[in-house]
Amino acid sequence: MLLPFASWLHNTSISLALQRQVAWLWPFCETLHFAGLALLLGVAGMFDLRLMGFMKRVPISVVKEFMPWALVGFSLNLITGIIFVVSQPAQYFGNPTWWVKVMFLIIAGLNAFIFETAYGRRAAALPAGEDTPTPLKIIAAVSLISWAGVLWAGRMLPFLGAGVGAGL
Amino acid sequence: MEDFLLRLQESDFGMWVSSAPTIFAYPTILMLHTVGLAMVVGPAWLLDVRLLGYGARLPVETLRGVFRVMWIGFFINATTGIALFISEADDKGLKWIFWVKLASIALALVVTSRLRRQVFSVTPAADVAAPKARSLAKASLVLWLVAITAGRLMAYIK
Repeated sequence: MLLPFASWLHNTSISLALQRQVAWLWPFCETLHFAGLALLLGVAGMFDLRLMGFMKRVPISVVKEFMPWALVGFSLNLITGIIFVVSQPAQYFGNPTWWVKVMFLIIAGLNAFIFETAYGRRAAALPAGEDTPTPLKIIAAVSLISWAGVLWAGRMLPFLGAGVGAGL
Repeated sequence: MEDFLLRLQESDFGMWVSSAPTIFAYPTILMLHTVGLAMVVGPAWLLDVRLLGYGARLPVETLRGVFRVMWIGFFINATTGIALFISEADDKGLKWIFWVKLASIALALVVTSRLRRQVFSVTPAADVAAPKARSLAKASLVLWLVAITAGRLMAYIK
């Protein structure tokens, strides 16, 4: 089911246009993908560390003000990531490691959603110096682990499972 | 010079990194290099945008600890970077873009240490950054971006 989808996507006009693009488009997007990764993990990672109980001097609401920068990083990576997948669909859909990356992304997303809906306000109300309750520590740990998983699987893409879908 | 680079690359260690048939050699070292990148550049950019006026409710003093995260990241990247370099010394060492990367990192380190002295030599650190600190923050933003870009382009520029 996926391979027909991949070959269909590969033949869409947008994918063909991207494939014919200038040689520097791919390295350019990769560079943005790395810069976005640093922003996302740097900023969200700091927030997670605060939720885990580090840097207690800082109120959570204040650290949270920097989260838009993590979103900037995430958006950069989502856009460049879509460009990668649309231009070389089989290379990704056919690689089990890519699905591991997607799985970690879904976990990270759900985890962030649970945080926002169930604990966002309560967390923001915690004053400086106060330790965080256990559920918040767990959410922060899941966040750190799942983003690390995204990075791990992303970086392993060319080495683990590559070629499974090759020749499509 | 080239002879030396080739000897590095063909050393037991260099050969292990580049061609051991395990994901724990080259792939894992490369992955850790990306982890270190996030630990250095993420916190650096966070501090930079704060000094440039973003998120002014956050006391600058509370960011005193980011240097610890950056140092750990830098240690990871110096170590993994040396290992990666050895494994491809005869290739990377002859590329001008590699030296652009090293130069921008060296400059970024100088800028970071001056920024640290400028901003955190007083306690608590001032919440409105002085013009000099702002210039250093801008330089840091740009230099780390150049380092990332040059690093990525090492895979493309011959």
